[in-house]
Amino acid sequence: MPKNNKIYWFEGVTEKGVKSLLNDQNSKFAWLRLQRNRRILVIIMTLGFLVLSLGSYWPVLKANLTISQGAQLVIFSTTAILVVLSTIVGYLLLRVSVRGIADAPDELLDERQIKIRNTSFRYSYYLMGYITMGLMILLIYGPGVSLFQGEGNDGSYLFIAVLFAFASLPSMTLAWREKDI
Amino acid sequence: MLHSIYAICMSRNPEEPVYNRIEQARTALGLTRQELADQVGVHYQTIGYLEREEYSPSLVLALRISEALNQSVSELFSMTAFKKGK
Repeated sequence: MPKNNKIYWFEGVTEKGVKSLLNDQNSKFAWLRLQRNRRILVIIMTLGFLVLSLGSYWPVLKANLTISQGAQLVIFSTTAILVVLSTIVGYLLLRVSVRGIADAPDELLDERQIKIRNTSFRYSYYLMGYITMGLMILLIYGPGVSLFQGEGNDGSYLFIAVLFAFASLPSMTLAWREKDI
Repeated sequence: MLHSIYAICMSRNPEEPVYNRIEQARTALGLTRQELADQVGVHYQTIGYLEREEYSPSLVLALRISEALNQSVSELFSMTAFKKGK
């Protein structure tokens, strides 16, 4: 009999995936669920988002370097790929560290888990507001950043960093606040 | 804004405690946290949170736990601390 693995498209998780994260058996990531390690991961992720968002200013940095165009291209492309890949890996580790609770649907969680998930979303909503406010101040008063122009201070990295940050905020809040996950 | 950041950084909000004797009743029946959790349909850590009185259960969960531990809700849960040895 084929096993049903329900896919929750809206939440971006599968039933099997969430159940396996909630289950302690065969867990290779138990160390990641310690509060201290979760908080370290949150700090690393925050720094990662800052580095990623600063990518918008790399062209300015590039202009001040006295290396060949080819070397610049290799250095900056490799750095960009590594930063984006690290952010994706960090995001996935973060999901594992909170057992996928931040992204799981109600029917796979118990009442306490639903409560902590909802609280994390509430605080993430506030944080998103503050980040958006900071971003608007930066765009109005900060050095000129153009989105997807491919020249000058291209704001694509800033845009990607904010998107990743918004997607990660519920897990980050949960990872920071909860004693036992 | 500062209050929100403070609340996020704090581990958890204070909650009015519901005192309980889940641990005593569970160990008397020889059940592990996992076994009780499976019987009442919650994660085993939720049982831990309840036993440490760090989480107040809903009425539905309190009734399920009482049934699983063969005790009444009033024997198992209280708004005031239980006297030791009782």
